[in-house]
Amino acid sequence: MRAGLTVLAGAAVLTGTAAGLAQEAGFSDIERGRYLARVGDCVACHTAEGGEPFAGNRPIPTPFGTLYSANITPDRETGIGGWSDAEFERAMTQGMAPGGKRLYPAFPYPFFTKATRDDIRAIKAWLDTLEPVRQEVDPPELPWPLSWRALLAGWNALFFEEGVFTPVPGKSAEWNRGAYLVEGLGHCAACHSPKNLAGAVELDEAFEGGFGEGWFAPDLTGDLREGLGEWSVEDIVEYLKTGSNRFSSAGGPMAEVVERSTQHLTREDLRAMAVYLEDLPAAEEVAEPGDVRDLDELLMAEGEALFVDNCTGCHLMSGEGQEGVFPALAGSSVLQQEEPHSAIQIVLGGAEKPSTEAKPTPLAMPALGWKLDDDEVAALLTYLRNAFGNSASPVEHSTVTDVRSIIEEREGTAALASE
Amino acid sequence: MVPALTRRPGADGHFTDAERAFVDAATARIIPTDDTGAGAREAGVTQFIESQLAGDFGDAARWYMQGPFKDGTDEQGYQLPLTPAQLYSAAIRAVDQHCRDFFGGRVFADLDAEEQDEVLRGLEAGEPELGDVDSRSFFKMLRANTVEGFLSDPMYGGNQGFVGWRLIGFPGPRYDYTRFIGRHGEPFPLPPVGILGRDGFI
Repeated sequence: MRAGLTVLAGAAVLTGTAAGLAQEAGFSDIERGRYLARVGDCVACHTAEGGEPFAGNRPIPTPFGTLYSANITPDRETGIGGWSDAEFERAMTQGMAPGGKRLYPAFPYPFFTKATRDDIRAIKAWLDTLEPVRQEVDPPELPWPLSWRALLAGWNALFFEEGVFTPVPGKSAEWNRGAYLVEGLGHCAACHSPKNLAGAVELDEAFEGGFGEGWFAPDLTGDLREGLGEWSVEDIVEYLKTGSNRFSSAGGPMAEVVERSTQHLTREDLRAMAVYLEDLPAAEEVAEPGDVRDLDELLMAEGEALFVDNCTGCHLMSGEGQEGVFPALAGSSVLQQEEPHSAIQIVLGGAEKPSTEAKPTPLAMPALGWKLDDDEVAALLTYLRNAFGNSASPVEHSTVTDVRSIIEEREGTAALASE
Repeated sequence: MVPALTRRPGADGHFTDAERAFVDAATARIIPTDDTGAGAREAGVTQFIESQLAGDFGDAARWYMQGPFKDGTDEQGYQLPLTPAQLYSAAIRAVDQHCRDFFGGRVFADLDAEEQDEVLRGLEAGEPELGDVDSRSFFKMLRANTVEGFLSDPMYGGNQGFVGWRLIGFPGPRYDYTRFIGRHGEPFPLPPVGILGRDGFI
């Protein structure tokens, strides 16, 4: 053990008081590392479609261009087999690879920096046990001057704060464990927060929802319409452990997160995360249930007709759905997000629940994009966002067009990959 | 899965003018426009049949079409060596020739309704002799295709304006009737809906 590992008293508290795997004696660092890599969902980005797990080279679309994830298997030439523990720690906590090469912050080091150095070493210890895979990684496709990595020093100066998570005094050990996981390795805010023009999380609006992979990751604050205001701690745990609860089902990128990451976490850790999330205050302007907007009557009539004709087979005329099978549209937070992109994704491209150990059947909603045009989807969602007591802004035709092209691009890429 | 549209580009050129005129006239007698409402003509049945004959159905793509070819029983179904497209083409030529011979040089489409009914009844009964073409098999197929065009989903070209479904009171593939359970003796308030949607919004 190096002295540096125990410098932080907080680190000992975090892993020591935390319930779950981290606490159990007999688990080696390697097993703890495997678990922590699941918390971070490393496999999601570091595995290409059809490629070896953790061998990287998955295209990561960003608003600035496409990046390719690193090979984090211990291959000495193409992976991180030649890295020392200190070099790995530097990459995770400062965004800097050996040789001083700066990493683009699509790699979530601004979050991972909050992990204890002990936990980071455990992850490295586990990655070292993987089979080395020789997999070259393509260079980033970024326009000049973004291709110039030295600029990232400026990005870091503006938006990056290095440093391990410090427990908040006055909050419970459970809350602090949850905060540690959510804000650190879990990097939930990477999707669930608005980003500024440089792609950095807007800290004062953290967890109020944000874009990720063409979806709008919902608000996780206590907002009653958009956020988790109606959800109990148990509801959040059930969602993360099984993929659905009485309010909603994971879909899109979150379905993958549940499948690969959260379902594998201990109930104690999920509970801690839920306790922390439950404590996030709603944004200032909390929409009141019963808010009625001034909407075009004809558009609403068209939307209602489309709803009755296309959706009621599963979601029922009342929009109540069937608990445990078909999500309710009445009161749905996915529908009432500030940005309707996820709802548009679901209508155009369909959605599949994750298949988890607790709920293995990946129930799916069929895509309707082949039969509904952009005007119809806009009318349908404008209606659904404002029916059954829901209230949200109307959906623009152009937003539907944008999401349709995102889906077409994604499906085109998938078709190419499967050839 | 997206249902395949069988109304394909180019299907409109499958029939010759004479064939189209025959099918239009014959189907309009099989399901006539009368006081119960619109018939095969308004439903677009000719368009439906033309489209089907231009596709896999017309080519008998999924049928066993090797010999032996013998007269079967009714239960054994279609037994001719001709594909449906070939049968329509040969039968229409033969029936029009038969009409010219017996109705003063007029083809089927130019006969009046009573004369057309007489010819159709003859075909149904296996008269007249149409050379290689079995008139009963042709009538059976024509009648079945007319009903299919009148009552199938509008996305396939027939049942336009849901006239077929309106006649029989079918609301289309709707799934949730829970709101209407127990409300007996009331008309169902929703208009018919097809796979591609309802009239007016599509």
